[in-house]
Amino acid sequence: MRSNSDPLWVRLLLTSVALVFFGLFLLLPLVAVFTEALRKGLGTYFAALAEPEALSAVWLTLLAAGIAVPLNLVFGVAAAWAIAKFDFPGKQVLITLIDLPFSVSPVVSGLIYVLIFGLQGWFGPWLAEHNLKVIFAVPGIVLATIFVTFPFVARELIPLMQAQGTEEEQAARVLGARGWQIFSRVTLPNIKWGLLYGVILCNARAMGEFGAVSVVSGHIRGRTNTIPLHVEILYNEYHAAAAFAVASLLAILALVTLAAKMAVEWKARQSGQELAHEH
Amino acid sequence: MSIEVQKITKTFGDFTALKDVTIKVPSGQLVALLGPSGSGKTTLLRIIAGLEVPDSGTVLFDGADATSRSARERQVGFVFQHYALFRNMSVFENVAFGMRVKPKSERPTKQAINDRVHELLRLVQLERLGDRQPAQLSGGQRQRVALARALAVQPKVLLLDEPFGALDAKVRQELRRWLRRLHDEIGITSVFVTHDQDEALEVADRVVILHDGRVEQEGTPEEVYEHPASPFVYNFLGNVNLFHGRVEGSKVHLGDFSMDAPPDMENGQTDPGAVVYARPHLLDLDHEPPKNRPHFKAKIVHIHPAGAVVKVELTTDAGNPINAELPHERYRGLGLQKGMTVFVSVRDMKVFSKAQSMLGGGI
Repeated sequence: MRSNSDPLWVRLLLTSVALVFFGLFLLLPLVAVFTEALRKGLGTYFAALAEPEALSAVWLTLLAAGIAVPLNLVFGVAAAWAIAKFDFPGKQVLITLIDLPFSVSPVVSGLIYVLIFGLQGWFGPWLAEHNLKVIFAVPGIVLATIFVTFPFVARELIPLMQAQGTEEEQAARVLGARGWQIFSRVTLPNIKWGLLYGVILCNARAMGEFGAVSVVSGHIRGRTNTIPLHVEILYNEYHAAAAFAVASLLAILALVTLAAKMAVEWKARQSGQELAHEH
Repeated sequence: MSIEVQKITKTFGDFTALKDVTIKVPSGQLVALLGPSGSGKTTLLRIIAGLEVPDSGTVLFDGADATSRSARERQVGFVFQHYALFRNMSVFENVAFGMRVKPKSERPTKQAINDRVHELLRLVQLERLGDRQPAQLSGGQRQRVALARALAVQPKVLLLDEPFGALDAKVRQELRRWLRRLHDEIGITSVFVTHDQDEALEVADRVVILHDGRVEQEGTPEEVYEHPASPFVYNFLGNVNLFHGRVEGSKVHLGDFSMDAPPDMENGQTDPGAVVYARPHLLDLDHEPPKNRPHFKAKIVHIHPAGAVVKVELTTDAGNPINAELPHERYRGLGLQKGMTVFVSVRDMKVFSKAQSMLGGGI
């Protein structure tokens, strides 16, 4: 502990306040989720998870994240690369746009897609004519998930890549490397931990997103429900134990995310890549 | 391979980095681009490497126009000021990089790459450090890895940007002598950028002095040191004493004393605003007025006896500061003390007209 001049009672008080807060607002809910989930025994718990509607929600959540995360990975790397390594007009606008999903309420994000692709929306009639469904269907859910998880990877990489500068890439170029070789051998290894960190956060948000997905989903059981939406439905219908059982999946995801985050931070420190801590 | 740069101009927004610069680097020579920061020397080096595109002008390699060749195709070795080692690769992998990224048809075999890397690491005296990461090396070691990496692709030209800029004084000294020896061994045409005149004069075959984006003077170290073309060059290549005076006929009048104008001045010219420069080691001090030499009186303000020579700070009656450097024996023989008034005489000097000194700029 660092030596400081604060008296013992001040330190004790501040530490206890922090611990009580942590217990009350973070630990207690987590414990509550698992106690409630297991209140009616392990049998009910696994039955709730094995239900076809629950399985379909898990599958849809994995699908949405499975599409959104890789797309945002590619987009995030491309955007961060462009922003950090090149100067071009409109760069500031692009940075602001990347942040847009953070500043807009997820419900509004969902509504935007309803306005664009919904039956009464801009492309609604055209989509209906061609028998394509976006809103109240899987594509809408995927689109909404992509939108809300848009900034995570780019946001993580931009400061990292800006700090690293372009000298190593220039050195590689003078040594005769082609564009792809420079990217795969120099740039990518230099950002791998930051990238993984961004992907972990992006994935956590993609699987846990409620607001935006709720607006575009239409809550069709077994078809357009993700895990968070399924939890809400179960809870509203007074299936508390089942709701908590499914919710515990998200809680486990959160714990795994935290552990992965810590591991990546540790590895990144070891390899000397400073991560941006803004989330 | 020889390098020629012809009429290169480069601007960054409103800032003109290079104005109509023309230089020649003969094959096999080691040339220094010397100048203060902002003089355009690094920009010129980056243009030769193809990392920067000039607004106008041409770069010739062995007489062939290389201006539109990309950095990849120029086959130059470039050593960056801050080394730019690949931080995620070992020393070995850093050196091997240039060979590994070659197209399959030109790529050496694994064994050949292995041998070449070991040979280069031996050349830069880092044989045992192949497995280290760049972060585990000292500045001087990183610099040598950067050099080995640049040499690995057998470049025709070696370009070094402030190669010793980030190192401490002792390592700098050692490394620049080592660079000179290395250059003599492999004989590759080399250009290096520096702001340190000692470094340029000690290491290079030729020195190009840049100032405000223009070439101020080009020549061998002796030429530029002994015959500076402008007050700027004179100033930049070492400490100077500056006197304002006027030239009349074959005499230079400097306040309270006069002396013969140096022989390289045009005879009979009259210049009311001449600037006279004299190096500190070309001044002599004495208790008695020297008989055959022009002299003036000055008071000793400070003495620095530590170092190869004794540095003496003086002021004239008019309050102008004077710096003189004396050998230790001379200093002891005179028994100089702070506060003494002595006679200063000038053994040699350089006279520039006012117009030239305006052109060259101040210190």
